[in-house]
Amino acid sequence: MSQHDRGIDRRSALKASAALGAAAMTGFPMIARGQGRQPIKIGMPTILSGRVAQLGVSSRNAVMMEVEKFNAAGGLDGRPIEVIVRDSRGVPAEAARIAREMITSDRVDLLFDGEPSSGGFAVHEVVRETGTLTLHLNSETSSLTADPRQRFWNAFRVARQGIHDSIAGGAYAAEIVKARNLTRWMTVSPDYAYGRDTTAEFLEYLKAFAPNVQVIGETWPRLFQPDYTENVTRLTQGRPQAIYSCLWAGDLVTFVEQASLYGLFNQSQFFGVNMADYTTLQQIKQLPRGVHSGNRYLKTFPPVPGNLAFAEDYNRRYQTYPTNWAWQSATAVHLITEALKKVGGTDPRALANALKGLTIDSPFGADGKVTMRAEDQTLVGYAIGWGTTISADPFVENMTAADWTTIFRHEQEWKRSKGWA
Amino acid sequence: MRTTLSWRGDMLVAALAFAALAVPAFALGMQSVLDFAVRFAIFGLLAMSLNLLIGTTGLVSFGHAAFFGSGAYAFGLLMQSGGWSVPMAILAAMAFTALLALVIGALCVRLSEIYFAFLTLAFQMLIHSIVISWVSLTGGDQGLMGGVPKPPFLGIDLGDGRHLAMFSAFCLLASVVALRQIVRSPFGAALRMLRDNPERAAFLGMSIFRYRLAAFVIAGTFAGLAGVLMSLYVSGAFPTFLYWTTSGEAIFMIMLGGITVFLGPLVGTAIFLVLNDRITNITEHHGLVMGSILLVLVLGLRKGLLDYIVDAWRERREKRA
Amino acid sequence: MDLGELASCLGSASCLVTQVSAGLTIGLLLFLVASGLTLIFGVLGLVNFAHGTLYMLGSYFALTAYGATGSFLVAMAAGALGVAVVGLLMERFLLSRIYGTDVLMQLLVCYAIILIVDDVVKIVWGGDFLKMDLPDAFRRPPIIIAGGIIPYYYVILFAITAVIAVVLAYGMGRTRFGRTVRAAAVNPGMVGALGINTAAIFAAVFGIGAMLAGLAGALSAPIRSVVPGAGVSILIESFIVTVIGGMGSIWGALIASLLIGFTRSFGSIGFPLFTEGMMFLMMALVLLLKPSGLAGKRQA
Repeated sequence: MSQHDRGIDRRSALKASAALGAAAMTGFPMIARGQGRQPIKIGMPTILSGRVAQLGVSSRNAVMMEVEKFNAAGGLDGRPIEVIVRDSRGVPAEAARIAREMITSDRVDLLFDGEPSSGGFAVHEVVRETGTLTLHLNSETSSLTADPRQRFWNAFRVARQGIHDSIAGGAYAAEIVKARNLTRWMTVSPDYAYGRDTTAEFLEYLKAFAPNVQVIGETWPRLFQPDYTENVTRLTQGRPQAIYSCLWAGDLVTFVEQASLYGLFNQSQFFGVNMADYTTLQQIKQLPRGVHSGNRYLKTFPPVPGNLAFAEDYNRRYQTYPTNWAWQSATAVHLITEALKKVGGTDPRALANALKGLTIDSPFGADGKVTMRAEDQTLVGYAIGWGTTISADPFVENMTAADWTTIFRHEQEWKRSKGWA
Repeated sequence: MRTTLSWRGDMLVAALAFAALAVPAFALGMQSVLDFAVRFAIFGLLAMSLNLLIGTTGLVSFGHAAFFGSGAYAFGLLMQSGGWSVPMAILAAMAFTALLALVIGALCVRLSEIYFAFLTLAFQMLIHSIVISWVSLTGGDQGLMGGVPKPPFLGIDLGDGRHLAMFSAFCLLASVVALRQIVRSPFGAALRMLRDNPERAAFLGMSIFRYRLAAFVIAGTFAGLAGVLMSLYVSGAFPTFLYWTTSGEAIFMIMLGGITVFLGPLVGTAIFLVLNDRITNITEHHGLVMGSILLVLVLGLRKGLLDYIVDAWRERREKRA
Repeated sequence: MDLGELASCLGSASCLVTQVSAGLTIGLLLFLVASGLTLIFGVLGLVNFAHGTLYMLGSYFALTAYGATGSFLVAMAAGALGVAVVGLLMERFLLSRIYGTDVLMQLLVCYAIILIVDDVVKIVWGGDFLKMDLPDAFRRPPIIIAGGIIPYYYVILFAITAVIAVVLAYGMGRTRFGRTVRAAAVNPGMVGALGINTAAIFAAVFGIGAMLAGLAGALSAPIRSVVPGAGVSILIESFIVTVIGGMGSIWGALIASLLIGFTRSFGSIGFPLFTEGMMFLMMALVLLLKPSGLAGKRQA
């Protein structure tokens, strides 16, 4: 090949990249430190880079915000909480390594596992071995706590759970089905474990509540597929009366945008379980009116002052609105600080016992309270609702709250059918 | 005669290395040291096996993680199915990766360098998307969950961190000895000739296809073993094991250490792991820092650290002579 | 598999119109990225593993420019030209240093670029996914032909990409610049001896390739979400296109891109879970039967 002059500034290019690197290092690790001695250390492996960085960033934001409040109020008899956050880059093996390192080298008192399901299960295996008290903040996969083989004394889930959403969604959709006689359904969900499970569960409960529903077609885009045109055209060909989707975040935005270009929302009712999350709602320009959505996080639901205050406070600090991951992480701080106060120390067994069955006042509760259910160590009683979208703030109206007695009843049946209860 | 001698020599060195590394780790029993030993064995083996392709054969594979991940999944699935002992499952997992490497290799090794690099990448992405979609078998994106059972065999209990560290170190050293024998054998010499002078090799009537395919299968099989260790280490298997980033990291490790020096990839692995752990502790901009380091290395040195040192040393010696 | 559904689609005018237009749009957008990749390979002998990253940058530049000016044209220009500049800088300061070295060096430099750019993008634009507004002028009801649906913006996309495809094919085939470039690809020494600055030609070709990727990113910003790391899946598809079409061949890239587009649009009806597999299968077949690709002359 040709000759090239080497004179021009390799060095300055390298210098620039080194400077960028140095700039990047400031401000991390994020440690919320208070005064006082012997802080209570919480380790938090999560995803801060790559496609789902938003998960870790909003989780961390909420944890830092709530921990600061706790520390400002004097902590636990003057002992502040210190949080160490590290990036697993979404690699489960890294999540496991970081968790282990936090336990052995940083000697954390407990873990906030900020990983989604895949990394969450990896961390789960680590703490099963080490017996470290662990709160899973972002894993929605039902089996994590519902399957007794996965359960052990020191791991708790402070997150919504797939099966709860499916029952609530099925019950809501069935009402609409009855009112408008929507019998021909199609689905468009991402082709991976979460998408498959959630869709199957939703359809199961939809059919249980509205037996005349027929599924006439399915299309399964792969996770993070860049373009959904082919799936949209498949749906327009099928001419269904209603469409269900558990696409989420960027994938959902792309789908909705392309589907509205095809006029799909004029043709069919759309049920999107993951639509009502601010990052999604704000990115969909020209949000179609009347799309049915479950609440991921909404500052107007539950409609209580505490919830609105949380959203405004978060917005003031981070110039953006909270996500579903944010309310879950905040709830984890609320629960653990309550347990710490009860126990008066950090003994993991005592804390675990305090957490079991703990009910606290919460702005995210269906009736002002959330509970860490003792039998399977998972969060229940949080607000679940469905409503329809409008194009401007508050984006979703006519929220119908789900009924937890219905959820509990069907969840119990579901567990029995799985041989888990 | 000479090969048997070097065989013994290698074994001896390996045994000494084992004693020097594993025994103190075992005695100390510090979890962090043991963890590092296991990870070093896993990635060291991955990098060493990849260098059989890149360094010895001159085939730059960007899809080596496909075999790493396949080994992990095959082993994890066999153990979860029950009825398999650990050694048998390891052999079966390696056989499976060998077969997979045979199929993919048959399609890829005929091609020129550049085609080869990105076809291996493309097949890896295909396998990755199969693993993501085939939820009933692989658990999809959540990976193989529920833990990998590790029934004790021959008095070795891989559920114990110390046993696992010793076992991983043993697998690494045994593989390194085997790889060294392969590289120094007539077969290895043939691979180098194919790399440096394919016309001459063809003139001698050698089948480029068969030699390269054999190297591809061997490298894939050892990567499969590394994957087995990984699934033992994390007690599961995850799609990221066979994502392109894992392949990228393996190449990064080789580049850090050196391509022409036999043990270069191991040095690179150690540097990479230490760097990786330090960087994740201080910044969330892992990619920026690692990318800059890589760029400096590639454009500055244009070779691995050990390559650079060895070349510089040779040059000095020649100057003196 | 649902081949009955596919057959009934092929027999219905409305379904044909919808799927053919969708396939064309998907295919032509892919062509913009793949043609740059194949051009760079053909002339520079370099596989640009960072090509998907350029596509991603195009989207980011476009959405920022649109946010600032509200002009669709400015946004497209920012995407295309901005990425062309980034591409030129990349070529001059990084890639030109490794011409003629082995694939390993190319791969590592591109890998480093991907790592760095993804992180810089995260620092500048944040880790959240973003989306560019679709200008109101394009936000019209879809066009209905024989019962088939074609979104208005897709018509625009089709027009722009088709024009570029023609210009590109004509430019490489018939113009003096095109002939010089093709000559430089075969024998850079000879072209250099004729007093033509090959370094400038290489830079120009890389710049054009980058610009095409940037434009593709910009054009898709209103209909696809923009997120760090979005380039990888585009890259793999472009690779498949270049292999099927033949490395270095613009016509091959065009044929293969459309083939992929139609595989996607009709596959979603006939074999929805196998569209991905079908693309790989086609690639494997090409490699076995005609390794130089459908339109390629270069030895694979």
